[in-house]
Amino acid sequence: MTGHRRSVLLASPVVAVLLALSVAPLALVLVWSFWQWDPAIYWMRPAFVLDAYQSVVGTDRLIVIVRTARIALITAALALLLGYPVALFMDRFATARERTILMLLFLVPFFTSYIIRTFAWRLVLGRTGLINSFLVRAGLREEPLEWLLFSDFAVHVGLLASYLPFMIFPLLLAFGRIDRSLIEASEDLGGTFGQTLRHVILPLTAPGMFAGSLFVFVMALGSSVEVQFLGGAAASMIAIMIQDVIRVLNFPLAFAISTSVVLFLILLLIVGSRFLGLARLFASVAR
Amino acid sequence: MVDRENEGTATRDHASNISRRRLLSILGMGGSALGLATVPLARRGFAQPSKATVRYWASGTMTIEKFWAQLERDEGIKVVFSDNGNDPGPVVSRMVFGNANDLYDVGGLQGGAEKELALRNAIAPWDLSKIPNWNDVWSWAKEIPYTQVNGKQYGIPAVVNADSMIYLPQKVGKVDSYHTVFDPKLKGKTAMEDAWINSAIFTAIYLKENNLLKIKDPGNLEKDELQGVMEFLIKKKKDGQFRTFWNGWEQGVQLVTSQEVWVMTGWEPIVYAARRAGVQADYAVPKEGYEGWSNDLLLHRGAVDRKLSEAAHRMANWILGGYYGAALSKLRGYVVPTDHSAMAAAKSGGEFDAKVQADLNQHVKNKFFSKKGATHWQNVRPTHFQLYEEWWQKLRNA
Repeated sequence: MTGHRRSVLLASPVVAVLLALSVAPLALVLVWSFWQWDPAIYWMRPAFVLDAYQSVVGTDRLIVIVRTARIALITAALALLLGYPVALFMDRFATARERTILMLLFLVPFFTSYIIRTFAWRLVLGRTGLINSFLVRAGLREEPLEWLLFSDFAVHVGLLASYLPFMIFPLLLAFGRIDRSLIEASEDLGGTFGQTLRHVILPLTAPGMFAGSLFVFVMALGSSVEVQFLGGAAASMIAIMIQDVIRVLNFPLAFAISTSVVLFLILLLIVGSRFLGLARLFASVAR
Repeated sequence: MVDRENEGTATRDHASNISRRRLLSILGMGGSALGLATVPLARRGFAQPSKATVRYWASGTMTIEKFWAQLERDEGIKVVFSDNGNDPGPVVSRMVFGNANDLYDVGGLQGGAEKELALRNAIAPWDLSKIPNWNDVWSWAKEIPYTQVNGKQYGIPAVVNADSMIYLPQKVGKVDSYHTVFDPKLKGKTAMEDAWINSAIFTAIYLKENNLLKIKDPGNLEKDELQGVMEFLIKKKKDGQFRTFWNGWEQGVQLVTSQEVWVMTGWEPIVYAARRAGVQADYAVPKEGYEGWSNDLLLHRGAVDRKLSEAAHRMANWILGGYYGAALSKLRGYVVPTDHSAMAAAKSGGEFDAKVQADLNQHVKNKFFSKKGATHWQNVRPTHFQLYEEWWQKLRNA
């Protein structure tokens, strides 16, 4: 048996599980998204119609998808801005002990429920919360800041608090893959820290940046609790909209929304893989 | 109605139902064992009850836990209780297209889904001649519109109550109208529930009773009525009237206790929670009337097919017979719409508090007669429920 055949045989159980648990449900979602909702029987009928997709595009639902993507994109960008210096510090300057402490600090919040974690922000950002209480008592404000809570600001705070570690860990992985001799060569040639960062480190950590951004983006895209707890009055996200739609049993529409989002994410992966070398990040793991 | 408590995840509409119920059980209306005297009414009409097992699939707070043993002693019926999550969407789906009719014999759900379930032949009408205790159900509870389909009784209200507004009197004075929620002077200080099932009807009640919009039935809005109601809400939202739309028990309580919101539509137990937290909150008696709600017993078609209809009827009769009501009030603070529970409590030899039970019954009755019975009933499945959802999306995006 050739090495290639052996590899295929070894991989086949995993591939079968993936097909059964991931691809098959997605295929069903795709098929059902073209079925027709029939109000007479409160259910969907087999068909091949674009009704559900027309509802996605032709109504206020598209606004929710765009808005969610915008929030997720901003969250990913902020996470990158905040996470990159942290990862850089942890990789280049921190001692092993400091690195361990920092990693633990980022992990500790995950020891509790994400609902509790998100809810706690209300106690920090509210009218009578920690920040406003401090501002008012210190005489810095006469009235509490209203926009701290139930706003897009609060949503981004909640999302960042939830997902920042998912940016930092891929970045650490990317930093770990950098050949130290390249950095030393840059320094030996008189490159300043800024020049080394710009011409060596940043390009070599691009796959990590993209992977981290993708993780944060995807998770923010599918989030709902942060918006429900911290967002403005009746604010929506894709996940909330799908819940709303399923609650009235309009499954084709829910599936059409899901399919649209999945297709968008697949497109994003293709772009990332082709232009930002996402596969390179995992090459070392494979080796 | 609704309560919801379980968690913040469980979403809007009905997810929130869970919350209040759990709260009520925590409220500590009690919760321990007892062995009550049999309530004669429960057995009326059934001399030699045959043994049966009935699988009861209902909102989690409808169970009376260990007190079910009394049903077995009285009627020979063993109840196997399962929580249905109290979200009408998934429940209806499982009833009509899923396996709920295979797995469960009797259902319990917020009122309004009866028509949909009957139309799909998922439930069967109750034979009221086999439920003698029905005669003693409070008359207005018998007339809840959504429990009947084509003149047949598909839903038996096992619990009734009515909701209005929680408010902070020190901030807004005495509140006796839903106008306060929409009052521009309280811009940014009010809230409603993040569920069209409740917020649309509250708004419709306000608009109808103040002659601001012609509305026939706030619980079942026609398309143009719904448009008027939702456009009003959307405008208010755009004006910044609402601080937020709350979702779930914890959020509701936190909004009031932190005084983030001064007045909001919601459940009465939030008032008690706020008071325990040291915040003076009151529950409004609105001049426009309350939003009434019921949790209804449903006879699954599968039970009829499995020849369990007789046992299900005996169980329904027992639930209205007094013992169940006394136990449920003790456990959760809920009221079964009949005086039998007060009678059962009085005869319980101290196991149930007769005065508490009588007061609780009277408290609920008062709500329904606060404005000569002008309570508008919550309907979890209005005729145009798909349109409700579409309008709710518009509100979200406004």
